[in-house]
Parts: sequence; C-alpha cells; structure tokens
Amino acid sequence: MMVNEINNKVLKEKMFVKELDNGLKIFFMPKEGYTKQYAIFATNYGSNDSKFIIPGESEITQVPDGIAHFLEHKLFEEPEGSIFDKFSELGSDVNAYTNFNSTCYLFSSTDKFYENLELLVHFVQSPYFTDENVEKEKGIIGQEIKMYDDNPNWKVFFNSLKAMYHNHPVKIDIAGTVESISKITKKDLYKCYDTFYDPSNMIVFVVGDLDCEKVFSIIEKNQKKKEKIKEEIERIYPEEPSTIVQNMIEEHLDVSIPLFNIAFKDVDHSLDGKELFKKDIATKIILDMVFGRSSSLYTKLYEEGLINDTFESEYTGEVDYGYSMIGGESKNPKEVFKKVLNHIQNLKSLGLDQEDFERIKRKHIGEYVSYYNSVEYIATTFVAYHFKNIHIFDYLEVLKEIEFDHIQKRFEKHFNQDCCVLSIISPKDVH
Amino acid sequence: MLKKLKPIQIGKHINLHMIQTDKFKTNLISVYFQRPLRKEEVTKNALISMILPRGTKTYSSSKEIAKVLEDLYGSYIGCDVAKKGERNIFQFYMKLPNGKYIEDPEIFQKGMNILNEFINDPYKINGLLKNDYVNQEKENLKEKIEGRKNDKMKYAYDRCIEEMCKEEDYSLYVYGSIEDLEKLSEEELYKHYEKILHTSVVDICVVGDFNQEEMEKMIKKNIKIDQKEVVLVEREKIEYNPYEVKLIKEPMDVNQGKLSLGYRTNIPFESELYHPLVVYSNILGGGPNSKLFRNVREKESLCYSIFSRVDKFKSLMLINAGIEFENYEKTLSLVKEQVSSMNQGEFSQEDIESAKKSIITSIRSMTDSPYMMSEFYYTQAISHNEDTIEEMIEKIKHVTKEDIIKVAQKIKLDTIYFLTGKEEVL
Repeated sequence: MMVNEINNKVLKEKMFVKELDNGLKIFFMPKEGYTKQYAIFATNYGSNDSKFIIPGESEITQVPDGIAHFLEHKLFEEPEGSIFDKFSELGSDVNAYTNFNSTCYLFSSTDKFYENLELLVHFVQSPYFTDENVEKEKGIIGQEIKMYDDNPNWKVFFNSLKAMYHNHPVKIDIAGTVESISKITKKDLYKCYDTFYDPSNMIVFVVGDLDCEKVFSIIEKNQKKKEKIKEEIERIYPEEPSTIVQNMIEEHLDVSIPLFNIAFKDVDHSLDGKELFKKDIATKIILDMVFGRSSSLYTKLYEEGLINDTFESEYTGEVDYGYSMIGGESKNPKEVFKKVLNHIQNLKSLGLDQEDFERIKRKHIGEYVSYYNSVEYIATTFVAYHFKNIHIFDYLEVLKEIEFDHIQKRFEKHFNQDCCVLSIISPKDVH
Repeated sequence: MLKKLKPIQIGKHINLHMIQTDKFKTNLISVYFQRPLRKEEVTKNALISMILPRGTKTYSSSKEIAKVLEDLYGSYIGCDVAKKGERNIFQFYMKLPNGKYIEDPEIFQKGMNILNEFINDPYKINGLLKNDYVNQEKENLKEKIEGRKNDKMKYAYDRCIEEMCKEEDYSLYVYGSIEDLEKLSEEELYKHYEKILHTSVVDICVVGDFNQEEMEKMIKKNIKIDQKEVVLVEREKIEYNPYEVKLIKEPMDVNQGKLSLGYRTNIPFESELYHPLVVYSNILGGGPNSKLFRNVREKESLCYSIFSRVDKFKSLMLINAGIEFENYEKTLSLVKEQVSSMNQGEFSQEDIESAKKSIITSIRSMTDSPYMMSEFYYTQAISHNEDTIEEMIEKIKHVTKEDIIKVAQKIKLDTIYFLTGKEEVL
C-alpha cells in the first residue's frame, strides 16, 4: 500500500494519505509541538440520507427522521456498558456529532494516543443495539430536541431551510422530532448501520505530534477482518425545484428582541471538487464584501440602529444544495430585509468594487492561515470538505484563480430576490 | 517544558508575560486592566468596551478600523469586559497572522500601532467620545442586557448565581443594568475611561513566535500605559454558611425546564483543598463518566445535558440540567443523592483516576490555544500563583480520596433555581 504525501508550502504543513484494501481512507497530519492529539472517524452519512437503496436490494428503504443522529448516540453502547468509561480510563475526551451529510466520532487526548485510536476504531465498528437500550435513549434525545426548541438561533436557521426547500431533506431537523424518533427500532438502526458504516464509505483523520507509520499500522491491523461492500449505496434525494416555498416565515418564542435570517437559495449546484470549492470561496468573499464589517450596508444598518454586532453572514455549499444566510438581531427585521434587497439591487446596477475584492481576499488568506492553529478546526473542516471531494490544502491555489469578473457574475446570479426568504423569531405577545 | 511563571515588570503595576512558541500561525497580544466589580462602574465599563471599537484618532469609524484590519490579512482587534470573582476585567485583544505565513513582514509593528491607538486614542470630538457613538452603543447595550434571557441555559446559570449572591457584588451582571445605563453622560464616561487607564493594574500577555528581548522592547515602546495612582483590587469574601436553602422558581415561556443548583464550597483557591475540589467536581459532574451523567442521564433518561462546574475566584460550585418541568422533584432528589454520596465517600479509586486524567488532559490542552495560554497566565497572575502547567498537574496528581471527602464535607447547598414553564408556577 502506498502512502501519499501532500505538502502545503505556504502553511508549512503536510499530510499523509493511505487507502486500505477495504476502502477505508486514512489521513494523518503531523503537528509538531502540539500537546493535543486528535482523531475523527467519520462516515459519509448524515440526516439527509433517510431514503436509499441498500446494495443488493432493489426496493427503496425509508427510515424515520433523526435516525443517523440516534445511531450516533447508540454506538457508544457496548455489551459491557458505555464506551465512555474506557475513554475516561485513558483520560481522553470522546465525543460525536451528526450533521446533514456526515456522522463523526472523535476524541482528543494528550497521552496514550494509540490506545485511544484503537478504541475509537473498534467501538464505531461494533454496534450493539438492544430493544431496551434503544428505548432508553428516546428520553435522552427527547430532551436534546427540547433543548434546541428553546434555542432561538437554531429555530431561525431551521425555519429558513423550511421556507427554502420544498422536498430536500435538509429541511428536516437533524435529530428528528420526539414523534419520529419514537418509531425507531433496533432493526432500523442495524439496517442503516450496515449500509452506511461500510469502510469504503468512511475515513479516519488524525492530527497531532505523532508517528506516521504507527498511526497507519494500528488502523490497518484493526481493519484486516473488515471487508467492504462492493456496490455503491444509492441515495435517493427528491427532485428539488429551484423556487422557494414561501418568502416569509415567522415563529414566536420568549426572546427579548426579534432574530432574523435572510437566506438565498443556491440554485447553481451539482458541482463537486475544485469547482464547488471555487464557488464556496467566491461566495464567501462576496458575502464579506457586501455584508461585512467594512461594507457600506453594514455601516448604514448599524448606525440606523437596525442591526447590532450579532449581524453575520455565511455560505454553505454542498453538492446537491446550498444557501447564503445573513442574520442577527433586529428591532425591525422587515425593514432590514427591505434595505438588504434594495442594496443588492443597487449594487447590481453599480457593480461591486474591485478594491473591496482585493482587500477581502487578503482577509480570507490571513484567516485561512490562522485556522491552522486549531487541531479541532483542521480535523472537522477536513472531513466536511473531503466528503465533497475537496482537499482543504487547495484553498490558496483556488482562491488565487478567482478573478473579479467571476465574483461579479456569481453575485448577480446567486443574490436573486426570487430565491430569497426571510425567517423571523419574534418575541411572544405580552398580552 | 514550561518554566516557572515569571512575568517581566515593565512598569510599577504593569507586568509582561511572554509565551514564546513557534507552533502557532498567529501572534496574540492581550492587555488586561483590572477593575473592582462594583455597581458604580460595571455598566460604564461595559458601555466603554462597546464604544472604543467605534473609532480611533486615525480610523474614525468602525468601518475604517475594519478596512485596515482586513488589509492586515484579517487581523482581529477587540475589547470586552469579563468577571473574574469580584474583579471586573477590562480587556483588549489583538490577533495577527504571523508574518512568516503571509506577504507582510511588518504586520506585527503595524498591528501594535493600531492596538496602542485603540487603547489610548479613542475617537473624540471636543475632548469627549462622539455623541452618536455613545447613544448608539447605549441602545445596543440595552438590547444586550435585555437579551440575557435568549440563551436559556446560560440565563438559568447566571440567575442562580445572582440569587445566591444577592447581597454581594458578585451578583452584578457583567454588562451592567439598564437603570444605571440610562443616566450615563459623555463627560462621566470619558472621565471613567481615564480612570481605567490611569489607576488599574495592567497585565500584558503575548503568545506567538518572536524574540523575547525584541518583543519586550517593542511592547515598552509601542503600548503606552500612563499609570498614576494605581488602586489595587481587594480579594473577595468567599466564606458563607447558608442557614437555609433558597428556592427560586422563575416562570418563562420555555419548552424545557432548566435546573440550577448553587453551592458554596467555602474553599478559597489559595487553599490546599482547591485541587481536591476540582477533582471532586469532575467526579460528580465533569463529563460522561461522572456520577450525574451516569445516574441522572444514562440510568434515568431525565436529561441530555447535566454538569457541575467550579467558580474558582468566588468558591462556588454550580450544577445545571435541562429537564421536563414535571421531573423537577425527581431530578432534584437524584442530584442531592449523588452529592451526598460524595460525602459518604461512595466513589472508587478508578473514579478518582479518571477524573484526574480528564483534568490533566484539559490542562495540557490549553497549551495548544494562544487564547487559553493568555488566559491561563493572566488567571495565575491575578491569583498570585506562579505554578506552571506542569506544577498544576502535579498538584492534581497528589489529590487523595481523603482530601476529596474533606471537600465534600465543606460544600453547602445555598440556592435552588428552576426556570420553568409559565403554567407551572401559577
């Protein structure tokens, strides 16, 4: 088996890559002088994957909403109890998260790394579900869901997805609902596990001041017995129109001031790899140029008291969907919405400013470099981008290819009023 | 290996802490001004920390500041207030990419000039902070204070402390109060800012890759702090023996109840029982291996989130959980049961070892974050503690079961706070 080495001269960082016979890919990034050692074992399987064809079958399988997240909770269970105890004995922190497109299991340690790594790889590959332990988890996840129900930021975000997407599963809560998880059975969990936790659908990412060969050999030894399923998993995503569902969505919660989120649905998709990366970087630069701290729009809204320093913008670009979101707190979200749309209209006729473009580009280069301080950031970002066929080391190279003209075109196309929604969380009526 | 913490004194009450390492891509400078936490000034401090980012002498608006920072490869400058026991810390941060990784070798020098101006030369008109900026930020601060309740978990945590320490300055909210905010005039504010600059003990931390001698010279030359009559902040009172447990139920329109239990540990951070207290809290509610997690979450499925946390300076311990309203009694009695089992010594040697390892891992992990290193050095400085990370770890390793039981016997429940549904209280 060949180990590939990838270097990044600007960052002065490198990475080693190896693919095992069973399809599992292992990535290792040395971080000399770092105390923390960090590993993620991730599967390309998230809350969006609730409809699929199991390799070898012809029928479509549909599972209850929230199952990927439920599965994440249950993998910590072993016949002899919870795996938490074993990590605790080693003194490391183990954790996991599920998002729309992946489920990630991770630990961070400062000692006994290789034992931790073995344990991580082992527990993720040893499901143990019983009727009883599945039932017990419903109460815990029920409380997790309720915790999010009280979180206005989460609500304003999810409501904007619901207003944008007709059919795409990204509009469904990652954890599902109390009702949907009540239907989850042991059998469902095994079905999803067997389909998506195949080594060929997974990667391991390791970062720290560690020995490269040892990292690879430990995982390799552990994987000898695990074979891969030959066929591709077919994931069924429903046809998604390029229109939005509704341009306004409002909900009331016990908050002191309204929260808002203005979202632009990206209709330019089905890209992956460098093309997707280019779109991602370009859109983020535009967001900073138009809505960032140095923009005239931000200054105007701020000075009029319409926004405060919670105002932020972000872009998410996946293979099959994407969106820009601009949001924060405001006494008058509808007025902000109106002014944002007007401003975009004006910019479309006046054109963006090339000087802003050059300056924001510098900002993004500096921020990109600074992110490499954090092993958590490196690991979680690497995994998320890897599943879109993007290598995060390519960032600077792709950024340099982006020309002002491209930025202009993307701005005109993506920031389209017809694909835009306003989500508001308003205070509850005092009456 | 980290040596004994020895800051360099660069002024009568100015200490410089240099943390030199080549592993980061950035350089971080933090400047901390120490203030007493008092009703008379907490709101002013918060408001000033919001006005300063609005403009400096050269960069007269936040837009101009943003532009110059973007030009400096996305450098960050900020100013904030924090509460460390009954100290109100007024702090500045500047983070810059290290010149090695970008095409600007002068970046650090440029950054220092901006930071110095940010601290010493805020934008003024006729000797006062700009009226518009003051009024806009008053409005923003008002929103921030009212916005406390938006994060229900944090709100319950803060409110528990507030009720528990009602008669103490520690109950003051770090962003102050609306009542005090409305009265503030521009004259008063600027006078107060001058007081911060001239009368506070100052600590400067620098984390990154640099030559120590050059850095010392550079800081002395570029960061000008004009100290006059410096006022030292007194140590807070921490020993309290509640004669009865306070019970507060606050109704709010929430989906989930938030239970918060406030304890007086009666253990000052200078005490030899402080490290055992840290281990105690970890065994009780430190993580997924803790008693609370195992018994309240895993066995009874009562919650998703549950933890305990020690407040070092004020010697408090808080336990927090998000639960169904109707499970209040059940959860409360389970939590109390777990706390009293600690008193009885019902925890194993493995529990102690796991807790120690988990604490050691988090202490060691601090060395990988510039911000956490800066905070660590500063926290040690204001606790008059010269222990390095390694020494701290040694102290954790030496904690015994007997020490932990001694801790358990000192801890007293003071306040039970429950954020509950609107119908639940009526």
